Amino acid sequence: MIHFDGVGKRYPTGVAALSQVTVRIDPGEFVFLVGPTGSGKSTFLKLIQAIERPTTGRVVVDGDDVGALPAAAVPRLRRRLGVVFQEFKLLPDRTVADNVAFALRVTGTDPVEIGPRVQWALETVGMAPRADDLPARLSGGEQQRVCLARAIVTRPRVVLADEPTGNLDPEAAWEIVQLLARINLRGTTVLVSTHNPTLVDILRRRVIELCAGRIVRDEARGLYQATR
Amino acid sequence: MLADAAAGLRRNGLMAAAATTTMALALLVAGGGFVVSANLAHLAGTLEAQVEVVGFFRRDVPPAAQERVLAQTVALGGTSAATLVTRAEALRRLQQTYRSMASVPAVLPGNPLPDSIEVRVADPRRIREVAEALRAMEGVEDVVYGAAVVDRVIALTRAVRVAGLVATALLVGCALVIIVNTIRLAVAARRQEIEIMALVGASPGFVRGPFLVEGLLQGAAAALAATVALTAAYLVLAARAAASLPFLPVLAPGAVLPAALAVLWSLGLVVGLGGSEIGLRRYLTA
Ligand SMILES: Nc1ncnc2c1ncn2[C@@H]1O[C@H](COP(=O)(O)OP(=O)(O)O)[C@@H](O)[C@H]1O
Ligand SMILES: [Mg+2]
Repeated sequence: MIHFDGVGKRYPTGVAALSQVTVRIDPGEFVFLVGPTGSGKSTFLKLIQAIERPTTGRVVVDGDDVGALPAAAVPRLRRRLGVVFQEFKLLPDRTVADNVAFALRVTGTDPVEIGPRVQWALETVGMAPRADDLPARLSGGEQQRVCLARAIVTRPRVVLADEPTGNLDPEAAWEIVQLLARINLRGTTVLVSTHNPTLVDILRRRVIELCAGRIVRDEARGLYQATR
Repeated sequence: MLADAAAGLRRNGLMAAAATTTMALALLVAGGGFVVSANLAHLAGTLEAQVEVVGFFRRDVPPAAQERVLAQTVALGGTSAATLVTRAEALRRLQQTYRSMASVPAVLPGNPLPDSIEVRVADPRRIREVAEALRAMEGVEDVVYGAAVVDRVIALTRAVRVAGLVATALLVGCALVIIVNTIRLAVAARRQEIEIMALVGASPGFVRGPFLVEGLLQGAAAALAATVALTAAYLVLAARAAASLPFLPVLAPGAVLPAALAVLWSLGLVVGLGGSEIGLRRYLTA
C-alpha cells in the first residue's frame, strides 16, 4: 500500500528530515510511527500525501509514484487518503455535519450520497447526536472524533493521523486510538504518529521508530521503547 | 460555487464595493472615451466629405464681377459644383440653423454677412489648390475651406483617444490593485478552508472557482453600473446636442453604444478575472 524505497528528504533550508528510509506498509496494517520531535514523522506523512516530494528515492502510494506524480494527479491521490491532525482543523463557522460533509462536497461527491455517508461516519465515531453543534461547543476529544469522521467519510484506503492525541487528555486519547483500531479492522490501512507511550504499549501493533530522519526500529508487535 | 462567491463578497463588503466603484469609474472613462472619439472621427469624416471651399467677396464687388469669378473657378477644373450665395441667402440659412437668430435683422442695422461663392471640390486632395486659386482672384477677400478644420478635428480625436487610454489605464490599474487585494483578503479569510480542501483532494478548479467567480462578479457589477451611466449620459447629451447644435453630426446611440459597451464589458470581465487570478497566485501555490 505504501512503499518507501531509499527515501531522503532535504528541505530547501538544508535540513535533512529523512535519510535512506526504506519501508513497506501493506494494505490493512496498523502502524505506529514514533520518535522524538524533529525525527521526521510529519515529513514521512507529508511525503505520502504529496505535500512534500522526496529529494532522493521513491515513495509509492497505492500504486502511484508520488515523487513523479504530476500536480494535476495529486487530488486523486489525496482522495484515497483520510487525514487527521493534532490541531483538528475543523471549520469553526460550520456544524459538525457540515464539517464532515465538506470533504465530500469539495471532492465532487454526488449530493444525494452526502447525507447518508455523513450520518454513517458520525455514527461510526459516536458523534451523530452532535451533528448540528458547532465545533466550539465540543470537547477536544469530541472535536477529534469529528475530524476522524471527516477523514473516513470519503472511504479512504489509508488513514494518516499526525499526533492525533497530542492535544487530548488520556481518556479522550484512548477513545481516538480505539476508533482508529476499529477503522483498521474494516480493512483500512492506518498510520499514526504519536508521542504517547501508553497507547502504543497497550495496542501492541507494528511500531516504526524514527530518529534523526532514519528508521532505527521496525517491530511487528512493538512497544514505545525498544526492549533490549 | 456562485453562493460561495457571493458569501465571499459579503464578507469583504467594503473592499468589494471600493473595487467595484473604481472599476465602474474606469469602465465609464473607457466607454466615454470610446464614444467621444468615435464621434470626433465621425465628425472628421463628415467634414472631409463636405470638401467645400467658400470665398467671401469684398462688400463692394458687383454681381457682374462675382459672375466672372464663378466662371474662372469653373474653368479651373476639378470642381463638381460652384454657386454664388448672396448675403440675403446666407442670412436666411443662418436663421434656419439657429432659431435664436431669427430676430437678427431687427437688431442689426443691416445684413452683416458678405456675398460668397461656394465651391465643391470633386477630389479632396485638390482642395488646397482650388482654395489658393480662388484667393488670388479679383474681389475675393477671404477663403475658408474644410481641410484645416478636418485636421484640427483629427488632432482632437487623437488627443481624446490618448487621454482616454491613459485615464483608463490608470483607473484600470487602480481597480486591478483593489480587486487583487479583495481576493487576497477573501483567500486569507478562508485559508483554513482552502487548506482542508487541498488536503482532502479537492481539484484546483474547485478551490479557485469561487474566487474567480467573485472577481468576475465584481467586473460584471462594475460593467453594469458603467453601462447604465454611459447609456443614460449619451442619450441625454445626444438629444441635447441635436437640439442646440443641429449642424453637429452626432452618432445615433444605436450606432456607437453597442461597440462601446462591448469594449467596456470585455474590459470589466477580463480585469475582474485577471485580478482574482493574480490575487490567487500568491496564496494558492499548493
Ligand atoms: N517545511 C519545512 N521546512 C524546513 N524544515 C522543515 C520543514 N518541516 C520540517 N522541517 C524540519 O525537518 C525535521 C523533521 O521535522 P518533522 O518531520 O516535522 O518531524 P516530527 O514530526 O517528527 O517532529 C526537523 O528538523 C524540522 O525542523
Ligand atoms: Mg510532527
